[in-house]
Amino acid sequence: MRLLAAFLNDVRFQWRHRFYFVYLLVCSLYLLLLHAIPAAYKETVTVLLTFSDPSALGLIFAGGIVLLEKDQGIHVSLFVTPLRLREYLLGKSASLALLSTMAAWAIHGLSLGMPAAPALFTVGVALTSTLCTLLSIGIVVRTQSVNGFLLLTQLYALPLALPLLRLFEIGHPAWYAILPTNGSLLLIGSVYRSVTIMETVYSIAILWAGNVIVYFWAKRSIERHLLSGTERGKSDRC
Amino acid sequence: MVIEADQLFFAYPGTKKRILHGLSFSIGPGEIFGFLGPSGAGKSTTQKILIGALKSYEGRVQVLGEEIRNSRSDYYERIGVAFEFPNFYAKLTALENLKLFRSLYAGETEDPMRLLERVGLGDAAHAKVSELSKGMKMRLNFCRALLHRPPVLFLDEPTSGLDPVNARIMKELMLERRAEGTTIVITTHNMQAAEELCDRVAFIVDGRIKLIDSPRELRLRQGKKRVRVEYMDGEQRHTEEFAIDGLHRNERFLALLARFEVETIHSLEASLEQIFIDVTGRTLA
Repeated sequence: MRLLAAFLNDVRFQWRHRFYFVYLLVCSLYLLLLHAIPAAYKETVTVLLTFSDPSALGLIFAGGIVLLEKDQGIHVSLFVTPLRLREYLLGKSASLALLSTMAAWAIHGLSLGMPAAPALFTVGVALTSTLCTLLSIGIVVRTQSVNGFLLLTQLYALPLALPLLRLFEIGHPAWYAILPTNGSLLLIGSVYRSVTIMETVYSIAILWAGNVIVYFWAKRSIERHLLSGTERGKSDRC
Repeated sequence: MVIEADQLFFAYPGTKKRILHGLSFSIGPGEIFGFLGPSGAGKSTTQKILIGALKSYEGRVQVLGEEIRNSRSDYYERIGVAFEFPNFYAKLTALENLKLFRSLYAGETEDPMRLLERVGLGDAAHAKVSELSKGMKMRLNFCRALLHRPPVLFLDEPTSGLDPVNARIMKELMLERRAEGTTIVITTHNMQAAEELCDRVAFIVDGRIKLIDSPRELRLRQGKKRVRVEYMDGEQRHTEEFAIDGLHRNERFLALLARFEVETIHSLEASLEQIFIDVTGRTLA
């Protein structure tokens, strides 16, 4: 119940801060861009945009939300309620994943039509979004300013962008196998090429593993940086 | 007892210097208890331990029969906390904020609108928090701490930065809660507020409790049992002091009341601030 409350509260917060409106504008720009692109490149560019869209949304919006919360001094009050860190993190991840998935479907649906494998496409977008959201939260609690956040984001997110080189046939595919976003590209790429069962299992597993690792890292970051001066979360906030 | 601490020692992780040195105190049900002390005395650290934010303490600290170091997140179902700075989601209204925080509790909760009306914020329920004054935010902060009907309240500087009218409203709200049986722990350096509100106060200096007693007892015990009378003799103002014992038989006092225009009569009990300085050798500044 509390997880659902945290999720709905985050949706309300994002709505009130006009995040949805901003994203509508971004999606519109993407659509204009896709309509202007020659048909031969459309599929590659769509995959590129569908991949970068939840990543950017997760990275920038999640960081922006936590910075706004920090600015408004919310955390100190939030963590003297029964809300657990787990619920705080999952509420944010789920609310932004929902927004990402809606945006990805809108972009794809209005430019290329129905994805060939809708379930894989949705899972790929959602897990990529949660990965980037958790990463962003782990980064933003270490900084005090927008500039610091943007700088650190480049640093931490760079390895996640490396599998994009595959789209340009740079490097051997095996090089990128341990990066969770390699799974993102395979799942999102299912819109125009069929994905084997092994590829599906690998993609979901690597993305899931990435999410788990980044979740614990983000949780630890909050305990050490956001709740510094307190020791909450060490035993009961997981 | 609702709160009990025995030989409480604390040093922040990674430091050897102890902030608290063997604090022992107990707080009963329906009591307003104040921790008074200058900045850095250890009162905020004590409160952080009591609200479960710092758990690596030595000694025994129990709230509602639960050892704090073992408490889990459901502990916050049973305590309410209002910090000195009333922080809220600025873009949400007062009512939306209370509804949001209410959604995080599993137990029975108050109707936010009713709470707002009780603290005189009914008309501001649909105003964004960013549009509220400090006094209104402090009252809203108090509402947030009451949302889940906690039997214990922790208030940090509850009248800080408030004008006299708002400070009076806050004090009345706290007294109302006490009358309903809530135990309230206040951390403050505002002696006047402590005098008016607290059933007992603890003076904390350098991480040690120097004294625990009721403000009234302290004022009477440490003060003079005398009254000071200010009166006008023609155009001249005069002051005289009299022993309280046998005052009704004191001929000079009775004659003064009969013959002159009396402007003020004050008993000369000590102020809490003076007692604090006498006991601790420190000021609260």
